[in-house]
Amino acid sequence: MSDATLVDLQRRRAFRAPTNEAPWLRVLLTLGVVGVLALLLFAPLIVVFVDALAQGAGAALASLANPDAESAIWLTLTVTAIVLPLNAAFGIAAAWAITKFDFRGKAFLITLIDLPFSVSPVVAGLCLVLLFGSNSLIGGWLVASGYPIIFALPGIVLATLFVTFPFVARELIPVMIEQGRAEEEAALTLGAGGWRVFFTVTLPNIRWALLYGVLLCNARAMGEFGAVAVVSGKIRGQTATMPITIEMLYNEYLSVAAFSMAALLALLALVTLTLKTLLEWRYADQLAANHRH
Amino acid sequence: MSRALLHPSPMPGFGLAMGVTLTMLSLVVILPIGALLWKGAAFGPLEVWRVINTERSFAALFLSFRVALLAALFNLVFGCLLAWVLVRYRFPGRRLIDAAVDLPFALPTAVAGIALTALYAPNGAIGSLARELGMKIAYTETGILIALIFVGLPFVTRTVQPVIEEIEKEVEEASATLGATRAYTLRRVVVPMLAPAALTGFALALARSVGEYGSVIFIAGNIPLVTEIAPLLIVIRLEEFDYNGAAAIGIAMLFISFSMLLAINAVQIWSRRRIGYV
Amino acid sequence: MHIQIDEISKEFGSTAALTPVTLGIPSGALAALLGPSGSGKTTLLRILGGLEFPSSGRVLFDGQDATGLSVQERRAGFVFQSYALFRHMTVFENIAYGLRARPRVSRPADAEITRRVTKLLDLIQLPQIGTRYPSQLSGGQRQRVALARALAIEPRMLLLDEPFGALDARVRKELRQGLREIHDNTGLTTVFVTHDQEEAMELADLVVVMSMGRIEQVGRPADIRARPKTDFVREFISV
Repeated sequence: MSDATLVDLQRRRAFRAPTNEAPWLRVLLTLGVVGVLALLLFAPLIVVFVDALAQGAGAALASLANPDAESAIWLTLTVTAIVLPLNAAFGIAAAWAITKFDFRGKAFLITLIDLPFSVSPVVAGLCLVLLFGSNSLIGGWLVASGYPIIFALPGIVLATLFVTFPFVARELIPVMIEQGRAEEEAALTLGAGGWRVFFTVTLPNIRWALLYGVLLCNARAMGEFGAVAVVSGKIRGQTATMPITIEMLYNEYLSVAAFSMAALLALLALVTLTLKTLLEWRYADQLAANHRH
Repeated sequence: MSRALLHPSPMPGFGLAMGVTLTMLSLVVILPIGALLWKGAAFGPLEVWRVINTERSFAALFLSFRVALLAALFNLVFGCLLAWVLVRYRFPGRRLIDAAVDLPFALPTAVAGIALTALYAPNGAIGSLARELGMKIAYTETGILIALIFVGLPFVTRTVQPVIEEIEKEVEEASATLGATRAYTLRRVVVPMLAPAALTGFALALARSVGEYGSVIFIAGNIPLVTEIAPLLIVIRLEEFDYNGAAAIGIAMLFISFSMLLAINAVQIWSRRRIGYV
Repeated sequence: MHIQIDEISKEFGSTAALTPVTLGIPSGALAALLGPSGSGKTTLLRILGGLEFPSSGRVLFDGQDATGLSVQERRAGFVFQSYALFRHMTVFENIAYGLRARPRVSRPADAEITRRVTKLLDLIQLPQIGTRYPSQLSGGQRQRVALARALAIEPRMLLLDEPFGALDARVRKELRQGLREIHDNTGLTTVFVTHDQEEAMELADLVVVMSMGRIEQVGRPADIRARPKTDFVREFISV
């Protein structure tokens, strides 16, 4: 190799595009953030499964087959099955009203919809207790008529609805703003009725965004703890959801049972993340702009 | 905007959509929050203050907001670094890590709580290491901090990531051609461009951390005056059927949270106006 | 400053953006790199500015090897096609940026910075816009601010990437005249990239016609028009 090309080679190695950081800094930063994530995200996730299987898979499965555990799983599924359709219906209605019409107070309405994200779940539960608890006006009357809300299923549903309230609407509004009204207007001029326009034009355009919102809503609904803890009364076998059961088992030092239930929910979280990532890769163009990586 | 309440539109379904929206909103959000505010109005600000102004309530509120602020600040810096690494660098496992950032959104808080406790308790995998170094993590304020960092982790990253993707490479190049070092470019050009989005993420992380309950109560130790957070104190008051006490702390939390969010919002509007783009 | 490009080539992965090209640009010239998109003209300009590193070959400034100089050390006034103004800074701060970015020892005092920026605002005939933000300017004003920002560092040469690309026809004519005047006043060796043959012919002293990573012809506008060397040049300048 001639001297000239050797010098050339050295120079090229020294050259760094002006938009890059120094190589040592890149390596350091990458290792740094991956290290922090390993300690904060990956380690806890692994611990859940390790502790669940501490006495073997048999013990873990047996703890889930216990009647109280089964009733908790059943309750969580019931609550989610009620909350998801309600939340989806609300999200679609709100997004339709907000993106297809111009009216005064729109910004205020959006602020109100987002409000639950800035309220502590415990405070949300507290609000429901104050409104529907047996010593409140409405609550007293409802309990006397045999329809208790607090310490019963309706309270858990309301609390879950509160904390998951903005999920679907927040996902749909930006997507529907971006898509505009032209397609719906075209369908109307062709003589289609309102419902027909919605099912044949709007819904196909927003289905993946809707699924994305419902997915996030589902994860939060099945895992909500703070708000439900306040309103459920934690009656074993009756108003104890899966997360509440985890707390009770943990406080009774039944580690394998607590972590087995936790592992079940962690699996759900992993499925949620996988589906969410798949949606982001596959249908990025049909989701809200900030999910497009 | 004109003064019309509703602009005429050929689009159908306003009545139904608005009806469903307002009914749900009232039933689920407005009425319950209204009940809390009503309770507060009924016994007046002085009474609220009297209840909060006990050593225990005050300590709990101060602890909640102080540690949440620390956690959100950590997430502000770390979230920007993480977003930068994920967008700008290529390394094996990058997409897996990108997907994993949302884990705190997907993992139920109670699960996160017991897992973090098992990990950072004095007999846990990391906690025992820390103990040998003479540190205690779980059952101290540090433990609360770790739990709050966990729940707020994705917010800043997810708001900043799309902004980094949109930065024109040419702007950074222009800075270099004008003689600026890489560090100067990052400080004077890149960071100011990320600031509004980072601030949004910070506000979201802060709001979430302040009210967090599930992931904290396991790792906190819950000693009154020391590691007892405000949401836990609300739960304790409710279990004692002290509804007034619970409501007073709830109102204080609402009030402080909203003031903070309003302040952050104002800063953001100011910075947007200054930068001159929306 | 005399610019000598010596057997420069550039590959991006397996595709060649520049096959070895050699070119001399005399001191004080106003040169145009003319060609269709993909001809390698922008790559060549970026190599001159230090934004890309050539796969082989050398760049000489006044006979001195400058190939290894970093972008900061080159002191080339670079105007980007998108102007790349800092949108969170006022026009004044944009122009002052290069002076403020200097290490403390060579950084001018604030009063001196103000004096220089004011002078540059006068030079681009926009003395009143110092306090505005880039978003509040028209396209033509932005281009002139980008030019002033590049001039503020007292560059050794001026490099412009499609400087008139994003403007409408009337403003373009006006700004061509402006660039000519600034070039004549400062005497800076100036290289600009364009795909518009009329622009190149009207404005430049030296036109470099490029196609597919090669230089097809170098010459004065009149010579190129009178004696096109290849079919490509004949066709390209007749459009």
